[in-house]
This record gives sequence, structure tokens and C-alpha cells, in this order.
Amino acid sequence: MGLALAAIPALRPPAFVESFLYLVFHWIALATSWTILSGFSGYFSFGHGAFFGAGMYTAATLAVTFGVPFLWTLPAAGVVAALLGVGIGAVVFRVRRLRGELFALLTLAVTFVLATIVLNTRIDGGPGVFLAAVAIPRIFASAASTIYVMGVAVALAAVGAAWIVQGARLGRGLFAIADDEDVAEVLGVPTYRFKLVAFGLSCFLAGVVGGIHAIFVTYVTVAETFSITVPLYVVLMSVLGGARHWLGPAVGATFVTVLTYAFVGGEWAVVGRAVVGLTLIAVILFLPQGLFGLIGRRRPGRSVPAPPAGERTVAAGSGLLSEAATDGSATAQRGPTSRPLVRCEGVRKAFHGVQALAGVDFEIREGEILGLVGPNGSGKSTLVNVISGYYRPDAGRILLDGRDLAHQPGHRIAGLGIARTYQIPRPFPRLTLLDNVTLAGMFGGAALDGGQAEREARRWLDFVGLADRASALPTELNLHQRKFLELARALASGPRLVLLDEVLSGLTPAEIGEALALVREIRRRGATILFIEHIMRAVVDLTDRVVVLNHGQLIAEGRPRDVIRQPEVVAAYLGKAYA
Amino acid sequence: MTLRHRGFLSATAGMLVLALVASTSAAPSGQPIRVGGTLALTGPLAATSLVHKIAGEIFVEQLNKKNGLLGRPVEWVLLDDQSKPDLARTLYEKLITVDKVDLLIGPYATGAIMSAMAVAQRHDKALFHHTFGIPHLAKYERQFPTWAIGPEPARTFPNLLFDALAASAKPPKTVAIVTSKFPSVHFMSVGAREVAAKRGLREALYLEFEFGNRDFGAIAARVRDANPDFLWMGAIGLEGNGLLEALKKLDYTPKIHFYLYPAPGPLALAPEGKYALSTTVFEEHPPFTASPVAAEYVKLFRERAAKAGMPYQSADTQAGSSYAAWQIMEAAVTATKSLDDKTLAQWLRSNRVDTIIGKVRFDGPNNYGDDLSKIKQVQDGKWVVVWPKEFAAPGARLIVP
Repeated sequence: MGLALAAIPALRPPAFVESFLYLVFHWIALATSWTILSGFSGYFSFGHGAFFGAGMYTAATLAVTFGVPFLWTLPAAGVVAALLGVGIGAVVFRVRRLRGELFALLTLAVTFVLATIVLNTRIDGGPGVFLAAVAIPRIFASAASTIYVMGVAVALAAVGAAWIVQGARLGRGLFAIADDEDVAEVLGVPTYRFKLVAFGLSCFLAGVVGGIHAIFVTYVTVAETFSITVPLYVVLMSVLGGARHWLGPAVGATFVTVLTYAFVGGEWAVVGRAVVGLTLIAVILFLPQGLFGLIGRRRPGRSVPAPPAGERTVAAGSGLLSEAATDGSATAQRGPTSRPLVRCEGVRKAFHGVQALAGVDFEIREGEILGLVGPNGSGKSTLVNVISGYYRPDAGRILLDGRDLAHQPGHRIAGLGIARTYQIPRPFPRLTLLDNVTLAGMFGGAALDGGQAEREARRWLDFVGLADRASALPTELNLHQRKFLELARALASGPRLVLLDEVLSGLTPAEIGEALALVREIRRRGATILFIEHIMRAVVDLTDRVVVLNHGQLIAEGRPRDVIRQPEVVAAYLGKAYA
Repeated sequence: MTLRHRGFLSATAGMLVLALVASTSAAPSGQPIRVGGTLALTGPLAATSLVHKIAGEIFVEQLNKKNGLLGRPVEWVLLDDQSKPDLARTLYEKLITVDKVDLLIGPYATGAIMSAMAVAQRHDKALFHHTFGIPHLAKYERQFPTWAIGPEPARTFPNLLFDALAASAKPPKTVAIVTSKFPSVHFMSVGAREVAAKRGLREALYLEFEFGNRDFGAIAARVRDANPDFLWMGAIGLEGNGLLEALKKLDYTPKIHFYLYPAPGPLALAPEGKYALSTTVFEEHPPFTASPVAAEYVKLFRERAAKAGMPYQSADTQAGSSYAAWQIMEAAVTATKSLDDKTLAQWLRSNRVDTIIGKVRFDGPNNYGDDLSKIKQVQDGKWVVVWPKEFAAPGARLIVP
């Protein structure tokens, strides 16, 4: 297809055809490059004009001022734009609060800053850069054909890159980031690295597009280059076509460019622009996920089937949770041991002066179900967040096999085999159940490839009774189904330790019974479980040992029936009058 | 029927036939000559582009009411480039290779003209354009600029302005130059700075600001502190008004003040715009309107501008240059009886053309000839030319407060 498009000039069409198609491919490339970061990861950038402009001025300056052959300026344009993007990302992506609209505003500000620099230095200085004298190598009959072919090439490269990214681990991780970045990180997605790679790729492509466009317009000025038009158009095109699909921006760009061009006649110019605007509003209103949003959800028929029952497929890294027991042989059944799997030593964490954890020491033994209880505000969830890497402790150590996890990023901790669920389920809302669970298999301790992870995901969905909902979205589930989805997701990561944060809250008695059976089954397969719960009866029935937190401190530890009778524990729950 | 009656009828019939024949021979006929061009009919440049649309429509109507071009009617194929140079380029490709227009007339403004010029050059087409502001970038030998600012406006125009000021009652001794970094403005301001220095004026302030700036408070403070005898404001659009409003808040009124490419209406109508100076090549008063063609054009332009709801309806530089571009095209085609671009270009490079902005020539560097710029001033809420004296409005002279 690429060759066919590139060969159009050989048919010697009117130059206008090349010129018009160039514009279509120009916008396809630009919109697609934007979507690789912003569409996939949800980090909406309004600064694409900056990276496009960086490429434009790099190519123009190298070609005009330094006499570099034009084709050689293009990779340089891409590299300069990519370095700019990565440089910004390296700082911005470290700051958790710079998401959403703040990221959009920040990138927009980058455009203005860059425009100011270009305008007030010798890069431009005010008069603009004129490229009429720059020689363009001729492919086919004319220089215009060369520009067209370059436009086709970069558009295909961008769409190809988006296609590869979407199907790769990078794309899966970016989609997870878009839905819930914190959960993605704790699930094992290296969010910082993935965003940086996507930003770099996105900017590189935008830079190359800018370089080509410099020679197309011939005259490069700051006002035109860094105008708000570029980011507005790429966002509009991507959203219109579907920003979460590799082909969506291409469809949107083609649609908008053709529609824009359809009303250039002098008599209809103003009416035409109004029609274009109204059409876009209508499409966005009625197709908020874009044209490709309609077909974006995966259907069961396209998926990898679950492996036959009894087949062992869980990869190294988990070693514990296996299929072995589900056929009834129960050969893998394990119980608690005395060997510590995780040891917390003097863990402290404060928030704006409130000491949530005030030096917590305890251990989780391999194969046990350890209950973690305490009244509201005692620090249970903070402790889970610290162990899973969502928070970094202010002091103390968290040792897994002697390795300190205290200052490791969440995705590394997940990779070492620690998985968690959330008190209020946090599935990725725009991914199907199957994709939710598959992600865990790919990025957690199991580190499976896509196919294996999907097979495992089906197994775990079957395990929690959601196999027939594999292609549903989490929003279609009720609360207890979402809790079970979280369980499946945690289990699919092949964990050595599962942190279950109030998995029973909000469930009916029948659902609680079902959930307890599942937890027992998980332990029977060999996983170690930290069971955080308020329902004391369930804790007593289920756990091997219990630790009790109050005001961020460990106040009791031991067998459940013994611990709940301790006066400190009773006082913590009911007040001193009852102790 | 008496003989007398028969004779009267015969004479009447004969006159009728003659009239019919005469009218038939005057009306253009045959395949229309198609003139292609784009304007920013939508987008940020649409307001000014409307001036060029009205000018072109008036000219084409007038042409077709006469004998057209070479006896053929003229059709203007006008497309909307949406204020985007890249779209302008593509549309000129369309006009040449798909619509196969006979002649090309330029878009508005400098960026779009640059794009169109590159296309015209690739196809060896002549391009008549009316608002190109950076002559040294116009390298194509078949491009013909109407806005007659000469090949070196950054040198010639400031000299004209300083000549006018030197001849005034209070020649300035100090100058402040404040300029937008808009390409076609910036180089003129840089030129003014050099000319001022050569002429011995002391530079009290030189300041650049970015195009699109809206906050002139800090700039106004610097101007007030410098308190120059003469303020050169390298302004485009409403930037001049912005600075004047900021100066007003500081209770400072500049002594002699000049604005390069202001929005003419808002500056003339603002109280603080009193005695503001600017550049022009055409205004709607004698001697510019001494010719019937110019007078008729000014009348029609005002009517059309009012009908189109334009807030400022005077025909000035933009309207004059736009009409003149069509006049130049007509003159070349009529003189050569040809639509061949090479023939037209050769004739234009060796002949002067009489237009409503004056006699223009294209035999200098980059096809630029004389700098026909004049100095105009806001007097009684209207722009009037005050320099050179022979072009001054009746009774008008440069007023230096």
C-alpha cells in the first residue's frame, strides 16, 4: 500500500493532487504521532506545535544557515524534537500532580516558551526563514513529488509505529496508564519509562513532519509555526477518529482535511466553515470515543482461548499459584510456614504532620493468611500502599527475601511478586475484563508474553466465575463481580504475596461466603495472603495469624481468637470502657 | 404614413440598429478568461481580506461592463485559503493544474504570497500580488508586486519620514523605536533605527516585543521614561492602539508618533490617535481621486464596504494596492494582447503602468521599482496625506504638536 501511494507521482497526476494528498498525509502523520502519547496514555498534550515547530526550525536552520542537504536535516529535526520532548517528560512525568489539564497547560506553555526563544535568538530573530533556495532531491518528475513522497513516508511510519505500539507491551501499558496510572504502576507497568518512550517517539515523528513541512511552505515564521492551530487540529482529528486506536487519528485527519478542503470556493467559504464546525460538533457529541470507539472493544471470538484444564502455564516468577489444584488433585496444597516472606522493620509514614505509620514491625510468613485489622484510620491501607510501592515510607525497611523494597518503584515491587486489590475496586474502566487481567499477567511477577498472559487471564476469570464476561467492560459488573475481577487480576500476576484490602466490604452474606471460599482456594494453591478486613468473624475463620494496628502502631499480634480478646484490641475498637 | 413619418421611423430604426451593434461590440464574448487566486475569506486574516475581495469584485464587474479582457469576459476563480499558507500553496496548485486558470492574482498576506509565489515559480506562471511586505524575499522574476514600496523600503521609507519631520515646525532630536517582531514590520523598524542614527537623531529607546502581545503597560512605561521627541511604533493591526491606551493610563501623550501598519479605522477614531502618522500609497482624497477611475472606485468601494458591514469603509493602502494589481494585469494583457506569462512578464519589466496609486514599474531588483509611499496623519478623525507636499490633501500639512 505504501509503495502504491508513493508511486502516485509516476502516474503524473496534476501537481495539485500531490499537494492536496501531501496535506492529508501531513495531518495523518501529525495526528497519529500525537496519539502515541496523548491518545494511548491519556496525557493530552497541547504542545504538539512546539515539537512540530522544533522540527520545522531545525530543518530550516540546518538547510539555510548551514547548507546541510535537506534530507539529512529530517532525522536531525526528529532527534531535536525528541530530545526536547524527553527532556520535558523526564521532569514532568516525575511529578504525580502534573496530569490531566495541568499537563495540557504545561505543554501549551512549552510552545509559547519555545516560540519566544526562537523569535528572540538567531534561529529566527523576527524575519522568518526562507527556504526557496534549498535544493530538494527529485524523485519522479518534480520536487513537489519528492515532498509528497516524504509526506507519505512519514505518515506510514507514524501509523505503522502507532500500530506496533498499540499491539506491544508499550501500548498495553499506555492504555492502563490512561485509565488509572497509579494502579498500572502497582500492577507492574513501568509508567515513567513507558511515558517517556511514547513521548520521545511522538515528538520524533512530529519533528520529522515539521521538517518536511518547512520545505512545503517555503517560508517559516514563528507566528505561523507555533500557532494554536497545530495542537487544536491534531487533538480534534484524533478525538474524531478515535484517539485510542492506531488508525483513528488517520481517519480523523483524512475526514477533517477533506471536509476543510471541500469548502474553499469563494462563495461558500463562510458557510462551509460553519458546516465543518457543526459536523465536527455532531460527531463528537454522538461519538465521544471517535469513529473507532465503535469498534474498539475486543470481541471474544478474536481472543486466545483458555488452555485446557490441568495444563500448567504459570511462568517462573510466580512459582506458587498454579493450575495444579483445580483438577482436584490438590498436590500443591500448602499451609503456613515459619519462614518470613516479607518483614517490615520500623516502617514510618506521615502525611502533612499526621503520623499514619509510626514505626511498624511485623512479618508475613510464607504460605500463611495474615489478618491485618484495626479501626478506621489505623493505617492499614497506608501500610498496604507502602508495601505495594504506591507510597514511599519516610523510614524503615520492607524486606522481601532480604531485599529492601522501601524505595523501589511500584512496578518493580509488582515484578518481585507482590500483588494487591483495592478496597474500592479500581479496574481499568475502558479495558475489557480479559484485558484487565491479561495486563496483570504481562507486567506482574509472571511477566508472560501476550498470548500466555491472555490464556492465564481466561483461566483466572474462570476461577472467579467471570469467564463468560471476558469481553465486558468493568462498568457492566456489579460490586462483588468487580471485587472478583480484582482478585483475578491480582492472581494473574503470579504473586508470591497477595494484599487483599477489604475484599469483603459491601458484599452480601452469600457473596462473602463465596469470596472466602475463593481466598481459601488461593491460599491452597500456595500464595501468601495479607488479609485486611473489618469483618472480624471472617478474619477469625480465615486467617492463621492476625496483627492489629491502631494509630499507626502495632498493638497486637498472634492467633486470631487470642488477639481479639486482648484488652488493647478491644479498647481500640470499642473504647477503653469496654476493655 | 407620411414621408416625414417614414423618415423618422427609418432614422429611429437605424439608430436602434447602431445602438445594438455598438452594444454588441462592447460586451465581451467568448470563453471567459479565468483569473485564479485565493484570499483568507475565513480565519484570522479574513477581515482585511474582505477589502481585497471587494476590490477584486469591483474591478472584474467594471471590466466585464466594458469589453472584458481581449474582448472576452473575465471570471475570477476565488478560493478560500483559510488564512493558512500551506493551504494557499495547495490551492494555487489546484488553480494552475486542475482549474487551469489563465492568470494568477495573489493571496493576502506575506506568508500566503510566499507560498503562492513558489507554486507560480514551479509552473512558470506570472503572479500579480498586492500586499507583499518583504521585497528582498521576492526572488521570482515573474512576480509583480503592486504595493509599491521599492526594493529597499527599510532605507527609503524611513528617509521619507525623517525628511517630512525635518521639514516640520519641530524637527525631532530624539527617537524611540518600539517594534513588533512580525517579519514584515521588524525589518522596517531595524531600517528606521539605522536611518535615524545616520541622520543624527539620538536613540532614546529601542524595544522589541512579540507579535500578539496584548499587554503594553511595561512598554508604555519605558516610552514615557524615555520621553522621545518622536516615537516610531513598528505596529501591525491593533498593536498601536494597545500602546496608546497604555500610555494614556500613564497620563503620557507622545509628542510625534508614527505607526507602521496600523488598523486604520480604530487608530483614526481613537482620541489618543490624534496626529498619529502612518504610511500609505492611496487615500480617498485628491490628488489620488483626481482621476475618474479612482473617484469611481472609491465611491463603489465605500458602498460595498458598507453593504458588507465593514466598520471602516475608507479605501486606503490595502484597497488601493488591490485595485492596482488588477489594473496592472489588465494593462499587460491589453498591451501585449496575450495571456502568455512570459510575454506578460517581459512587457511589465520594460513598461510603466498607470494605476490609481501612481505609475508603477518593475525593472528594479526583485521587480520592485519606485517607493511610492506617502506619509499620512490623523487629522479631525480622518487620515490625510501630509507628505510629500504634492500629494497632501487639499489644505493639509504635517501638524507637529
